[in-house]
Amino acid sequence: MDIFAGLINGFSIALTGTNILFCFLGAVIGTAIGVLPGLGPAATIALLLPLTYVIGSPVTAIIMMAGIYYGAMYGGSTTSILLNLPGEAASVVTCIDGYQMARKGRAGAALGIAAIGSFIAGTVAVVGLTFFAPPLAEFALDFGPPEYFALTTLGLLLAVTLSGGSIIKGLIILFVGLLLAMVGLDPISGKIRFTFGSIVLQGGFDFVTLAMGVFGLGEILYNLESTLKTEIVTTKLGKVFPTLKDWADSKWAIFRGSVIGFFIGIIPGGGAVISSLASYAIEKKYSKHPEEFGHGAIQGVAGPESANNAASSSSFIPLLTLGIPGNAAIAMIFAALMIQGITPGPFLVAEHPDVFWGVIASMYIGNAMLLVLNLPMVGLWVQMLRVPYGILAPIIVLFTTIGVYSVQNQVFDIYSMLFFAALGYGMRKLNFDPAPLPLAFVLGPMVERSLRQSLLISGGDLTIFVTRPISGTLIAVFVLLIVGQTAFFIKRKMGGKKPPAT
Amino acid sequence: MKKYERITAIITSLGGVWIMVYAWRTLKLGSIHIPDAGLLPFLCGVGLAILGIVWLLVLQQTKGEDKGVEEKRIWYRPVISLILMVIYGWAMESVGYITSTLLFVIAWQKVIEREKWLKTMIISLLGTFAMYALFVYLLKVPIPPEFFAR
Repeated sequence: MDIFAGLINGFSIALTGTNILFCFLGAVIGTAIGVLPGLGPAATIALLLPLTYVIGSPVTAIIMMAGIYYGAMYGGSTTSILLNLPGEAASVVTCIDGYQMARKGRAGAALGIAAIGSFIAGTVAVVGLTFFAPPLAEFALDFGPPEYFALTTLGLLLAVTLSGGSIIKGLIILFVGLLLAMVGLDPISGKIRFTFGSIVLQGGFDFVTLAMGVFGLGEILYNLESTLKTEIVTTKLGKVFPTLKDWADSKWAIFRGSVIGFFIGIIPGGGAVISSLASYAIEKKYSKHPEEFGHGAIQGVAGPESANNAASSSSFIPLLTLGIPGNAAIAMIFAALMIQGITPGPFLVAEHPDVFWGVIASMYIGNAMLLVLNLPMVGLWVQMLRVPYGILAPIIVLFTTIGVYSVQNQVFDIYSMLFFAALGYGMRKLNFDPAPLPLAFVLGPMVERSLRQSLLISGGDLTIFVTRPISGTLIAVFVLLIVGQTAFFIKRKMGGKKPPAT
Repeated sequence: MKKYERITAIITSLGGVWIMVYAWRTLKLGSIHIPDAGLLPFLCGVGLAILGIVWLLVLQQTKGEDKGVEEKRIWYRPVISLILMVIYGWAMESVGYITSTLLFVIAWQKVIEREKWLKTMIISLLGTFAMYALFVYLLKVPIPPEFFAR
């Protein structure tokens, strides 16, 4: 099936009544959680994972999950601009100039350019995804166990190094995630690992309990500590459609943000946060008036908001073509696919073209829906901030508890979710970034299987990883990354400066 | 914060060593030709043991305390809510879904949020009804039956 035939097939699937409804639901939920500070897209998708058991069709479930992810990028800018409070991590940088614009009475223009930039970048990235993903999937068909081992380990390492937090803590979480994935029956030897005599643990931890615990409840517990109250918004929005001058000032920022976001989104660990930061830095560096940045420069809103949207769409490329989730939210979508009995990877295009093309086509539709949802209806979303956290928190707890119980109808899952909630809370308290945990958990079995299969194939010859061209290249990048990071760390220490973070 | 980080670093290292021993003795590493179930856990254990020590060394060399969190934080609210959730999980099977959910939201609103009784009851009843309607009525999720209906 060529790209155009696939896309037409995708639209015929995405444009059915049920799929349009779930795409809309995903866009609405995504915008809502993007607006609400304290609940990110990864947490929300985690909370909704049990719903995928109920939604019969895999394509419908993934259309909704994808809508939540890229919808959150649209909604995230709203609180950044109006309250100087990022709705989610990728919108942190939007606070700098967005809030300044709002203080100068230009909140409407900032919100408008954020939504238009998001729409353009989202669409550009989906076009890139349409044409880039199928050839990459075809290329990945040649991958064997050594290539998969090299790719997954490099992906995990990139996720740790690019997350922006402490590398030591990131690596610790990575190993913890790998170990959690090993609990239960070893699929190759049949041995029982880390169960301590528990029969229920023999099946291993369920990803839903881990994701809902660490991301859903862990975030709730951490937010419960906070004494911060959301102020009721009094900022006057004004006209949400930008003027011609606003458009002229921001069109290149949108274009650059789209390109930067698209490429950073493909790299595991890259994602929306880094792309928005990179876009802001580039806009400031190449601006004719860098002094305006921080005082309400519209490019400071247009660039990062475009970049985070493009990255959220392009991060589907490694998932759909290689079966490698690049960030926590995509790891949740990976799990949703697995729940539906679909293994993401190079065979997805050939074996499940309905899922592959249906989801891609739905992204075009979802982006158009989000533009409508965010431009004229921004005032409505702002009203959502009036919902007190005291009501929202117990509702989320009820939702997660019955949600996790519904997966296997056993209370053990609730307890294991609470264990992960405590773990997630502790991680946040000690400044650990929890993002590598679900990645390591979902990629753990693939890492182990490919490592052991490679050694079996080669008869214990470790050079199998470096003598094959693709795995050799990936291992070289892996080694360069470790050497580079170590050299950077030592140089900083020798220079007498503090390390970035421990 | 540094004190807790030091403790976590030590636990990480010791945990890594324990995993190495467990993987070596119980799971078995196998050979490089035919690796066994303990190989990757052993490597992860080695990684954790080393990272714990590196973290500890970095903490030793970092002078001064962390800035800490500027905003005032209340530590007991998450602890109490976690305890409430554990009790809720137990009560769900013991007394049934509807009764335990209602009691859980009442306890949450009174203990965590310190709300007045009228608001507490409205939120509890509406919350329980909404969950029942969504999961039981719409999504047909089987729930633990009520203790009085068994």
